Amino acid sequence: MSPSSPTSPPSNTYERLCAILAKDYKLTPEQLTPDAPLESLGIDSLGVADLLFNVEDEFGISLPPEPVQLETVGEVAAFIDRLIAAPASFDGSPPSSSAPPQAS
Amino acid sequence: MRRVAITGMGVVCPLGHSLTEVWEDACAGRSAIQRLQGQGRERLASPIAAAVDFDGALHFDPPKLRMLDRVSQFALVAARHAMAQAGYATLPGPASRAGVFLGTGMGGIGSIDEGYRTLYGEQSDRIKPFTILLGMHNAPAAWTAMEFGFSGPNMTYSTACSSSAVAIGEAWLRLARGEIDVALAGGTEAPLALGSMKAWEALRTVASVDVQEPSASCKPFSRNRSGMVLGEGAAMLVLEPWDMAKARDAQIHGEVIGYGLFTDVGHMTRPSAAGQSAAMQAALDSAGITAAEIDAINAHGTGTEANDSAETSAIRAVFGAHADRLAISATKAIHGHLLGAGSALEAVLSVLSMQHATALPTMHLDQRDAACDLDYVPHCARAMPIRTMLSNSFAFGGTNAVLALRAPALA
Repeated sequence: MSPSSPTSPPSNTYERLCAILAKDYKLTPEQLTPDAPLESLGIDSLGVADLLFNVEDEFGISLPPEPVQLETVGEVAAFIDRLIAAPASFDGSPPSSSAPPQAS
Repeated sequence: MRRVAITGMGVVCPLGHSLTEVWEDACAGRSAIQRLQGQGRERLASPIAAAVDFDGALHFDPPKLRMLDRVSQFALVAARHAMAQAGYATLPGPASRAGVFLGTGMGGIGSIDEGYRTLYGEQSDRIKPFTILLGMHNAPAAWTAMEFGFSGPNMTYSTACSSSAVAIGEAWLRLARGEIDVALAGGTEAPLALGSMKAWEALRTVASVDVQEPSASCKPFSRNRSGMVLGEGAAMLVLEPWDMAKARDAQIHGEVIGYGLFTDVGHMTRPSAAGQSAAMQAALDSAGITAAEIDAINAHGTGTEANDSAETSAIRAVFGAHADRLAISATKAIHGHLLGAGSALEAVLSVLSMQHATALPTMHLDQRDAACDLDYVPHCARAMPIRTMLSNSFAFGGTNAVLALRAPALA
């Protein structure tokens, strides 16, 4: 995780993801590297579902219903970026006309 | 039938997190019932409860903590304490002969309450992914089995206020019959969510606040009682066959010698003296002892008019003239009603009473009710030999459960 000013918001997907991991899972910057396996951070397959729920809120995106296999912090960030860039490409359906879920 | 020893006890309850703290407070009659702080208290007619001073973050890593409702956190920490006291280096045999028997009346009601608040209060569909796993009644037992590798029976009993007496009793039966070689048995409850507390209030069983002294709001067997006060927490016991405990040189804290069940089939909430006495008699019969061998009782003693008079009549029916020689303690006056965990905590207090040869006081018994004419050990603990005790638990739904317990010196 690259250093950022405590007063400025994280500037990209990876940093925003790391901010979630630091807040909700109390992980330190040293633990958070792109190659860090989620399992080694205490986040197993069930934990990934929980993490992605928070990702939806943070990024204002909606995940596809299909299960996804994400092993590392970097893979999660890349997955989020792909969703932001092409939200309909994962299930082949056309873009939804409804607004994405908003953070509550 | 094999004899069953109690070799470990652990508590996380309003009186404290260690047996020493709990014993000292119970002996001194220090009540943990307090006015509630925090959001929602203004919506309660009786904003009092016996809460546990507890921070899950001190006991669990953050990723795991996110998967644990408070009810599972209590159970796991109490189980750790019990297992530490039991002092197992390794399990005595195959993991399939180690079982978890746990009682809870309301399971992860806090998580369910939070989900409903999101759905109906905030009109949001963002229900957290773990809501089912947090809320399900068998989560505490499942987590407990996983932590200690107990692959045998994993049982959750939900018979309201007798849940953990049933859990301990059923574990005792399995051990006595030789079906398993070790059990973690007890109960856990975390019912202090707003929705749950409002529901209890609506049932009109909750005590009004004693304005002079809120901590004295629960007054079992007293003429000026007004009901029960909710509490939270967990208590767990390690049970194992007597001979196996002796063989590994374990310290034996007490013995479970009997368990009686009798179900009222008349009314959902109204206690039946006949049902309660039948459960006590069944416990005596299963232990193979007479009523005269009982020295003391930890009463169900909720502080409701219906319970206290019925329980008094039931004790008189079973014990006859010997009833006047019994020391009867209603400890809910200070730790509140832990519902599905209440019986387990009261079983632990009973074992400690026998170990310390001290009958615990029934606090706030200033004006004895005319219909409650037994020796309730009012106000002050009493030094006396206690060899054999009953611990009574009677429940909404009618499941009356009674444990018979014996002091280690006699066992």
